Amino acid sequence: MTPRDDAEHAPSAPLLCRVRGFGKRYGRLQAVKGIDLELHQGEIHGLIGPDGAGKSTLMKAIAGVLDFDQGRIELFGTPLDSERAAEAAKAQIGFMPQGLGLNLYAELSVEENIDFFAQLREIPPALREARKAELLAMTRLAPFRDRAMKHLSGGMKQKLGLVCTLVHQPRLVILDEPTTGVDPVSRRDFWAILTGLLRERGVTALVSTAYLDEASRFHRLAFLHQGRMLAEGSPERLQRLAPGHIAQLAPADPLAAFRAVRSRWPQAEVVGPLLRVFLREGEEPAELARRAVVGEEEITLHEPDLEDTFIALLRQRGLMEERAEESGSASGDQGDPAGETRRREPLIEARGLTRDFGRFRAVDHVDFQVCPGEIFGLLGANGAGKTTAIKMLTGILPPSSGEGRVAGADMARAGQAIKSRIGYMSQAFSLYEDLTVQENLRLFAGIYGLRNRERDRRIEWALELGDLTHLRRASTASLPMGQRQRLALGCALLHRPQVLFLDEPTSGVDPVGRRRFWEILLRLARIERVALLVTTHYMSEAEHCDRIALMYAGRIIADAPPAELKARLERRVGRLLSVVTAEPLRALERLEAAGFRDAALFGRHIHLFSRDPGATGEEIRRLLEAAHIAVEGIGVQPPGMEDVFVHEILAREREAVA
Amino acid sequence: MNLHRMLAVAWKEWREVVRDRLFFTMAFILPLMLMGVLGWGLSLDVENIPFVVVDHDNTPLSRDYIGHYTDSRYFRFRGYLADEHRIDPLLADSKVRLAIVIPPRFQERLLAGTPAPVQALIDGVFPFRAQTLKGYVAAINAAFSRNLLVKHLARSRGLPRTAAEAMVQPVRLETRYLYNQAIRSDWSMAPALIMLVLMVTPPFLTALGVVRERESGSIYNIYASTITKGEFIIGKLAPYAAISCFNILTLWIVAMQVFGAPFKGNAPFFYAASVVYVICTAGIGLLVSIWVRTQMAAVLLTMVITFIPAMLYSGMLVPIQSLSPEARLEAHLFPPLYYLRLTWGTFLKGLGPEALWRDVAILALYATLLWGIGWWRFTKRPGR
Repeated sequence: MTPRDDAEHAPSAPLLCRVRGFGKRYGRLQAVKGIDLELHQGEIHGLIGPDGAGKSTLMKAIAGVLDFDQGRIELFGTPLDSERAAEAAKAQIGFMPQGLGLNLYAELSVEENIDFFAQLREIPPALREARKAELLAMTRLAPFRDRAMKHLSGGMKQKLGLVCTLVHQPRLVILDEPTTGVDPVSRRDFWAILTGLLRERGVTALVSTAYLDEASRFHRLAFLHQGRMLAEGSPERLQRLAPGHIAQLAPADPLAAFRAVRSRWPQAEVVGPLLRVFLREGEEPAELARRAVVGEEEITLHEPDLEDTFIALLRQRGLMEERAEESGSASGDQGDPAGETRRREPLIEARGLTRDFGRFRAVDHVDFQVCPGEIFGLLGANGAGKTTAIKMLTGILPPSSGEGRVAGADMARAGQAIKSRIGYMSQAFSLYEDLTVQENLRLFAGIYGLRNRERDRRIEWALELGDLTHLRRASTASLPMGQRQRLALGCALLHRPQVLFLDEPTSGVDPVGRRRFWEILLRLARIERVALLVTTHYMSEAEHCDRIALMYAGRIIADAPPAELKARLERRVGRLLSVVTAEPLRALERLEAAGFRDAALFGRHIHLFSRDPGATGEEIRRLLEAAHIAVEGIGVQPPGMEDVFVHEILAREREAVA
Repeated sequence: MNLHRMLAVAWKEWREVVRDRLFFTMAFILPLMLMGVLGWGLSLDVENIPFVVVDHDNTPLSRDYIGHYTDSRYFRFRGYLADEHRIDPLLADSKVRLAIVIPPRFQERLLAGTPAPVQALIDGVFPFRAQTLKGYVAAINAAFSRNLLVKHLARSRGLPRTAAEAMVQPVRLETRYLYNQAIRSDWSMAPALIMLVLMVTPPFLTALGVVRERESGSIYNIYASTITKGEFIIGKLAPYAAISCFNILTLWIVAMQVFGAPFKGNAPFFYAASVVYVICTAGIGLLVSIWVRTQMAAVLLTMVITFIPAMLYSGMLVPIQSLSPEARLEAHLFPPLYYLRLTWGTFLKGLGPEALWRDVAILALYATLLWGIGWWRFTKRPGR
């Protein structure tokens, strides 16, 4: 083991929880095995992994709400080995289970929900009122005190859940995927609240997330994968476990370049116009430049982010699902009905698309276009209106006003013929779990009216597309999420649609699976010239799209290529500065006191925007050094999609106020 | 036992029930609906039986014989048929339940003093109804025969009619129906339905109330907090028990006002006994909620384990003594049997605690057992 070097929260801080050899079986299924974990006072500890990695099981066991059979958990110095022991610890724990607002009471108002939790924890009324006022103010929920919980937005539900979990001031809060499906502004608020608590009360938090881009928020984190611990430590330490760099280049044909380098560097991906390749320590970019046919000087080297590290670690440990070598040039390429899709007229078009449900306007005058060969991303939180928009465009739901057109036909009136040119993959992949892979494909082929040789050919094509040929007789229920998702995609593509709608196709899929999925989508767009409309709430995925529309409360608040959105943000608020210090909490306090209002904490980094990065950097250095806080580095970073989204929403809100 | 935490749970639960339209309906409307639907639909009186006649004789005496049927409220005359072949399709279609065939020379033979056969064809699909029907036919037939004999005796021996009647029927049966003088089945059905509805609805509420929390995940608020399982169970189920205690009153009123059942017994005693019963059946819901994970399963399981004992093993439709020994044992294992004795006893027989305390005691024991098992099996740290 490398020595622990997490300056702030290392062994010096008292140990709160120690997990040794933790394991849990559900029937015959060994869900989690051999987990070791330590939580120290005052840290935010992250658990990261896809669905089914074992995050919830571990968190529930620590919270004392799940019995377990292997290993040992010590909490506040006593082992959790019986229900009685677990009960004793509960006064000092706050636990928020997974599912946005699902643990709250829909019929009760915001205030009644908080009161219930307070009464459950026997907080005297006077104290309860004081804490309630404080927490409501902190979460900006005070104006909604009397609103029934079922009428809150996703972000508000999440914050209410947090308030209810915190009302008894626990020493340890355990939050299971608190940010999944929440809009980015609420996510920022959430992290600000958690950071504040950490600072003021020394609360310790164990937080799980499926978003790898949130990983930098944690002081220390654990990567979980298929019930095992892949690695644990500070983000910096984890990055050192898989040393290397990300080489970024912009070849003329990114897909061709990707194919040229992939056999040598399996960890490569196309992101919009860019090719990103993970080079291990010692590997030189010269060879990469030669294979990708670009000048060596065009390659820039970057620090890998935690998703890169996660995948590199999986590869290191041999935990990757090995891919079959691609047979020849994208199989089934005869699927391009040449000429017809070459035209640049939009295949998908929304014109003033609007949908009301009673008094609630789910989609509000939405306009956009998707051309053949284009990947269009609809990005937004749960409840922003993404799914409703797709349903109108596929003709499942009639619009209240405006129209959705596919291949020139109005979908509200379109006949079956036009519907057969559409492929649709829904949120909960509509596969039949009791059928085998091949039976599912046959069933969908039958639904689309494919027969005989055409049917067999398309099924083989779909199996190859999803790299499922060796699994054709496997039962669908036994497949991991990533393979199931590729099967669902194959089913949606059997009838050669020219237009493909994908509604949150990647939620719950691990990062490796998500990358492979995007590779397939890219091939469909670039080679088969399919028009793709994808919705997602993963901000990091948005970068794969050619164009992105940000959806917020039923409206599109921005619609442009990702690079342009970022450039626009930098023109508006300046460059993103990242400050690394040994004492981020104190540093943040100093910076806020000095008027840097938008400074936000990301683990040991502090992020803020500046129009003049040079001068601001100097000012910050002076400020912190005056307070005897050592500054380890100040650098400029490209902003992420989340920054873009947050600023677009805030700009809208400011406009609305003005 | 911490009263504050218990009350917090109960108060939260109460507000959820009254604000959630579905739960509100289930709590207050469903019991009345069940009572209405079953009360009007589950009549055991055999009346208005449709019948046809094939009269090959067609004489004053044969028409007089038929007249005995058409005048009765138990039968409804659907007309004459020309021959027997027409009967089968009508019986098969359930258009009629009974056909009477009078052979030729019916009057001639009777007047000659020789017996005349009459055929009654009865739809025997449902034995209970067929038996009752046969009883009616036999009674009408006997009355007709007796009348003939009385007339004959009076004429041939010159006796007064009463003397002739006494000769024909030396043993006279005097019947008096006790408790339900009009032998109206809704008098007995209405109180029995109180038993049925209070067997079914409280467990529905309690089982769904707990399983709903488990399905949504809000049960983790309870698991993760310091409330004890006893406090949670009592706090959680108290509102449902209270709602059911209120429903006892509404059902009682419906039984008396809508179905006209008399109440002859001790009212406070009956109410107290009903409360014990409701607590007992709510406990069934608690057990269901511990063994199932989804609301769907809770509904199905509750249906099966409450409806069947209440309908079949309570004595409501079939007397317990008529059941097979195994079924009789089974009947004694379920609470409806005891509570039905209580309702019939108080409603119709006017009995009080001195006669019925044993049944209340058994229900109380039953309730303690159910809640005890519920408390024992409930865990704040389940294995999955």
